[in-house]
Amino acid sequence: MPVSASVIAGLQRLLGAAGVVLTPEGRLTYESDMLTLYKAAPDAVVLPTSTAQVQAIVRLCREARVPIVPRGSGTGLIGGATAPQGGVMVSMTRMTQILELDLANRCATVQPGLINLWLTNAVRDRGWFFAPDPSSQMVSSIGGNVATNAGGPHCLKYGITTNHVLGLEIVTGTGDVVSVGGKAADRPGYDLTGTIVGNEGTFGLVTAITVRLLHAPEAVKTALASFASLVEASEAVSAIIAAGIIPAALEMLDDAMIGAVNAAVGKVYPDGAGAVLLIELDGPRAEVEAQAERVAAICRERQALVVTVARDEAERALLWKGRKEAAGAVGRITAAYLLQDAVVPRSKLPQIMREMVAISRRYDLLFANVFHAGDGNLHPLICYDDRKPGELERAQQANEELLHACIALGGSVSGEHGIGMDKAKNLPLQYGEADLNFMFRLRRVFDPDGLMNPAKLLPSHPACGEGFRPSRPTLPAGTWV
Amino acid sequence: MLAGLRAIIGAERVCDGGAAVDGVVPRWSAAPATIEQVAALVALAYDEGLVVVPRGGGTALELGHPPARVDLVVEMRRLDAVLEYQPEDLTVTVQAGCTAGALAARLAAHRQLLPLDPPGWAGRSLGGLAATQATGPLRQRYGGMRDLLLGVRFAQADGVLTWGGAKVVKSVSGYDVPKLMVGALGTLGVLLELTLRLHPAPDYEATWLASFRTPAHAQDCVASLLDSTVQPNRIELLDERALAACGLPASAAALAIAIGTVEPAVRAQEGVVKTIARGAQGSVETMGTSFWRTYDRVLAGFDGVVLRIGTVPARLMAMLGAVQAVLPGAAVAGAAGVGALHALVTHADAGVLGAALERLRASVGEVGGGVIVERAPRAVRERLDPWGPVPAPALQAMRALKHEFDPRGVLNPGRFVGGL
Repeated sequence: MPVSASVIAGLQRLLGAAGVVLTPEGRLTYESDMLTLYKAAPDAVVLPTSTAQVQAIVRLCREARVPIVPRGSGTGLIGGATAPQGGVMVSMTRMTQILELDLANRCATVQPGLINLWLTNAVRDRGWFFAPDPSSQMVSSIGGNVATNAGGPHCLKYGITTNHVLGLEIVTGTGDVVSVGGKAADRPGYDLTGTIVGNEGTFGLVTAITVRLLHAPEAVKTALASFASLVEASEAVSAIIAAGIIPAALEMLDDAMIGAVNAAVGKVYPDGAGAVLLIELDGPRAEVEAQAERVAAICRERQALVVTVARDEAERALLWKGRKEAAGAVGRITAAYLLQDAVVPRSKLPQIMREMVAISRRYDLLFANVFHAGDGNLHPLICYDDRKPGELERAQQANEELLHACIALGGSVSGEHGIGMDKAKNLPLQYGEADLNFMFRLRRVFDPDGLMNPAKLLPSHPACGEGFRPSRPTLPAGTWV
Repeated sequence: MLAGLRAIIGAERVCDGGAAVDGVVPRWSAAPATIEQVAALVALAYDEGLVVVPRGGGTALELGHPPARVDLVVEMRRLDAVLEYQPEDLTVTVQAGCTAGALAARLAAHRQLLPLDPPGWAGRSLGGLAATQATGPLRQRYGGMRDLLLGVRFAQADGVLTWGGAKVVKSVSGYDVPKLMVGALGTLGVLLELTLRLHPAPDYEATWLASFRTPAHAQDCVASLLDSTVQPNRIELLDERALAACGLPASAAALAIAIGTVEPAVRAQEGVVKTIARGAQGSVETMGTSFWRTYDRVLAGFDGVVLRIGTVPARLMAMLGAVQAVLPGAAVAGAAGVGALHALVTHADAGVLGAALERLRASVGEVGGGVIVERAPRAVRERLDPWGPVPAPALQAMRALKHEFDPRGVLNPGRFVGGL
């Protein structure tokens, strides 16, 4: 249903003509996030600058029953910032202020459109940083990070976005502005902050975020270890964690990815290796020194081909350059790929790597791996040629098979990207009907009309209001006597 | 009804009456052995309009509004199993009745720990720790239960067994249901199984006591520690009364600072800690690790009124002053680096305490904090709000959640914020 002229006029009154994008070519920019399998442009894009404007937008749309889709920088990987039912997309790119920096209390309050890295840039010279570091941190917004509960390489040690969010202001689907949490330690009531982080815009639009800032560590040490195979590298990962060492980051690249990276950015990783581990330790200098020795010894015990430690910041940057540009480098080996985000318990890494190799052979598809090995979060890029008929379908089948294998090992559908449109159908692998029913009702509390980012996160969006029907416990005969 | 309860879990596991909950003797008490039995009990209660109160270690039953009515106490003590423990994964799944102490003993064999140490932690059930969001000194480094709970199984108000979260350390599949359950006092579901993130136990831990001439100096020291590369496990503030209660040398305020990692790194940071403390004109002495047991015993053993104060590190001195102004003689101690304090009040009737709460809540309200009455005699809590105010829009959302998930008021009704 297209948005009515009176709603458009209302939006223009609120935001001015420059705050509303209506032209087809203007709206085209907003048709998808970075997962371009899902493309659907909104009927209008609005660019608010304040909480009051966001609230007015929600109230206007709610009255006219127009779907609302939030958007940060559009760097999501799940089909989240796309408008399959049309409606109004709310872009947060004009809400980029740092509202308060309070280093004495280790926190900052920001608007949702602020780019993740800009916050660290604002406090770096005083020795502080914002820990969540999705690979997109140079362009992704903190509001988007909150919506998807984004992770990143360093969340192995520091935790994901939710562990760093202290409070939020949200305009819910009912049009209410609700402030939850805050900089102080504890407050009475349900943990609404924790409940809202990761809602993917289905509860409402987050308009301000109070985040924890951390003091930068004294020392950082980055090492690279290469192995003959993915399985051996995976065994080294398990051994490092089992030794009681939680590196800041523990990343793995396989041979396909090493080749692509070396071709793209110069020879940063050793040729001929089946896999490399990028291991970063940070903390007090003496701790980092001791752990680095132990990690190097573990890698050698596990038949590492080469173990090198970056000697200075330039060498460290070079080791990370390959990792950070991996996704872009993939273009050299494939025209198109599917990106997985499943998780397995970390002790199951060697096993899932064996299964992945088998699946890759069975489907005759190249899997290129670059992933957060330390927490068992896989990111195989399943390469296919979209010009060959049937190859996308084959890739999708391989993807599903791998996902099933991960869940069978006790894993999770998504480690850090989120669900969106892409993985909603997979949630029943991980959750029963009762679990999905609970989530459906949770959503309804914040968005009773089903207007906030519809068709995302849950496997269906039952307008009937019933959703999934869990079975009640079976009671023994005679219970109601 | 008794027959119905007996049909579910067997005659010997259910009885009339039972131990009182916050002064109210329940009509029945049941000690189920399986989560399916809990589910069936809750379903029966739902159909019959009974009030269910889950009971773990029984150490925090005075938290919240006094119950108006208790029909069925569900004892969790038999649901105390460690269900899955894979040391290599640094995760564990336990039943909610498992105590933190029993779990710690299992984990110690693998040099791992669940870093949750609120007063009396060893004897408290993990389900209870989750329901009350209790925290202790280790919060400085590891966060609280909200940061450690990866997955949770619970019985909804109608008895439907439900799972939220995941069993792996990193998951964003669906809503973060575990966060909703932490600190909810069992008002949205009866917690049954918890999957928890573990940490490696530090190789070596050392503790120092830095004593200061004024609380302001202690606060300066906290600020300098936070703005440094030192990574303490705990930074506990003790005012002069808390120091006396622990049998420590007198001073206006002191910080107990612990660092745990490999020994050379502990030694290296010790120098920095001492320099920072002396920079704030503090004197530093090394403590034995037994200090933390003493500290735990003193806090857990206190039998007066306990307030939980949530503030910020830059307001510690102001908070100590505010407490002394309205509750002279109260001892204050807590996690200075995160602003989570406890006030231990020996003598206070409801009138004095009510007035004191109003003043303290106004003070922490400026930074969005709160003051919760963690423990007080029922007669005192009947005359004041143990939770304190919640801003209207947030309370409305909480009310909507309670209404959605427990419309008949089966789960610990009336005890949470706003009478939820």
